[in-house]
Amino acid sequence: MKNTTNKTQTQVKQPELPQGLSRESLKTVAVIGILVLAFLRWNDVIAILINAMIFIYSLVGQNFGIALILFTILIRVITWPLNAQQMKGAAAMQELQNDKEWQAIQKKYAKDREKLAQEQMRIYRERGINPFGSCLPTLVQFPILFALIPSITYAIGSTPLSILNLSRSVYSFQDVAALVPLNSKFLWMDLGLPERTLLFGLSIPILALTVALTTYIQTKLTMPPSANPNDQAAATGKMMSIYMPIMLYFFSVNYASGLSVYFVISNILSIIQYAMMGKVNWRNLLPGGQKK
Amino acid sequence: MRRKLVFVSIMLFAAVILSGCVGAVNWPSLAADEQTAYLANGQFVYALNSSDGTERWHYPLQADSKLTFYSTPVVTQEGLVIIGSSGINHSLIAVNPQKFPDTLPAPVGGVQRFFCSIGLAICPQPLEVEEWIFSEAKDSWVAGPLALDGKLFAPNADGNLYVLDLKDGRLLEKITLDGDSNRPNRLWAQPTTDGERVFVTSLDHSVYAIDIETHKIIWHEGLGGAIPGGVILASDGMLYAGSLSKQLERFDPATGAHEPVLDTKGWIWGTPVAEGDNLYFSDVDGYFYSYNTKEQKLNWEPVQPDSAITASPLAQSDNVLLATESGNVYAVDNTGKVVLWYDEPREGKAYTTPVSSDGHVLIAYLESDYFLLALNEEGRQAWTFPSQ
Repeated sequence: MKNTTNKTQTQVKQPELPQGLSRESLKTVAVIGILVLAFLRWNDVIAILINAMIFIYSLVGQNFGIALILFTILIRVITWPLNAQQMKGAAAMQELQNDKEWQAIQKKYAKDREKLAQEQMRIYRERGINPFGSCLPTLVQFPILFALIPSITYAIGSTPLSILNLSRSVYSFQDVAALVPLNSKFLWMDLGLPERTLLFGLSIPILALTVALTTYIQTKLTMPPSANPNDQAAATGKMMSIYMPIMLYFFSVNYASGLSVYFVISNILSIIQYAMMGKVNWRNLLPGGQKK
Repeated sequence: MRRKLVFVSIMLFAAVILSGCVGAVNWPSLAADEQTAYLANGQFVYALNSSDGTERWHYPLQADSKLTFYSTPVVTQEGLVIIGSSGINHSLIAVNPQKFPDTLPAPVGGVQRFFCSIGLAICPQPLEVEEWIFSEAKDSWVAGPLALDGKLFAPNADGNLYVLDLKDGRLLEKITLDGDSNRPNRLWAQPTTDGERVFVTSLDHSVYAIDIETHKIIWHEGLGGAIPGGVILASDGMLYAGSLSKQLERFDPATGAHEPVLDTKGWIWGTPVAEGDNLYFSDVDGYFYSYNTKEQKLNWEPVQPDSAITASPLAQSDNVLLATESGNVYAVDNTGKVVLWYDEPREGKAYTTPVSSDGHVLIAYLESDYFLLALNEEGRQAWTFPSQ
């Protein structure tokens, strides 16, 4: 009896994989599988998100703004482990950029790309780092992000065609006829339309600006400090902290403001998650803070 | 670095492509008089000769990113064509077809248009074909207005019924229809009248009756679901309306007293059509109904040709024509026998109510090679627009 238990425990700890198949490659295959499945069943992905939003909407007194905020929190909770893994992966890669051995092989094999790749793989193996550790979880989240745009557009439905499409996406357990059209008014906004606020005679996209600002703050706060001036990851992070807010600003200016609400809440929750994991660098918000 | 840039670019491209899967904004609208068909389809409203599909004019001459047209054009007794925009510019425009020149100037596109805008090229003067433009609405024009006694009753998606002077587009009254303030009170259907009152349906689940002279709301009554179609005044003097609650409802036009008279299988979208004592209507589950208002019963069991039906049927002398989402057109006779009248080969989708003009039945399509198809009396293709 005792022997059997020990044997079982050993099996749980180290399940044997087929020869030539590593855990990392399995993860990669799984991620690709999820992406392919999401692409093939794209309408189902949209339907799941729509139904989740409408279900929450029916629970919270038919206020789509509150439903959307709760929905965003739900999405962040579901993707919490993926985000955590992404953060760890990014941190490991960042540390590696500052590693002396890593920098040495970069210099040593600068002209021999094949050898450099071999050496990089060796270091990854020795230190248990998955070079895709930060991007695979992100990839899994992309279908959710992309599906959100049509989901919000269908759910709020400001045209006959969108309401007709909505009727086909909603599962039979929801009394959609009683709920439609969803109340898209939230604070000063109509969540089905791009937001503009008239200030001093000017039409200002306050929400889109808030999206850009929170994206900038989130990217800056979550950027690990780097001492290496040739650190490619840091350079990319810096680039992203500029391009992402601009990109999301234009996205928000043109799409339904419901999507902008998602971005803002998602950014705030992302900062909270980083803070809870002790990975927020408040100094990055100060001018020149990242150089220290 | 370059690889990461490529990765980010691919992701952005994928985001734009996948988010673009939302598809078309809405389906086209169609109206016709004896010789002319009016098609509101995206950036333009087209006036076409119903006999051969040749274009008489289109509005605007140049595509304008602020203007999008999906509401049914309305031709007034004075000959004006009233069109409403669903674009950023929520204007209601009275176009005077008499002001179009015999030959339309060629549209200016691309680079030349840019040079025109900075005065480095000679370009055609904009055509001033508008009799007036009303720009005070806050949302899209989805429904066509009702022209009545020199006034225009124009329902807007902002929840207001705008009463305008037909002569100059001056606002006479703005009637806010907010029976259920918790729901968006979008007005998507053309109003109906009995000569004393105007009846307006709303997505807030309500039907409103408004006095034609005083513009006061006489009554408003709620149903169990949104009402995307309009009401119809039947031969028994009662109003009938369908809703997303899957019920046909009968109203007393004077008091608003109402009761459900028929349960349907799916959402009723299009406005029912009255022909004698019969009401014809469909639902989005694809069923077609024929209801006798005198006997208060169905003439025969509902028939289901193939796919969803959002369009109102077109009643002809010996049958009723149905355009289904699949793009096919069916003829239903008075015994409920269904015949495939036109088999759409190009997978275009028909959501728009067909119209009859100059001996042709006109079908507007979404996601097709052509916007409009004319069928002759045997259900054979006569012409398409644009011409194939």
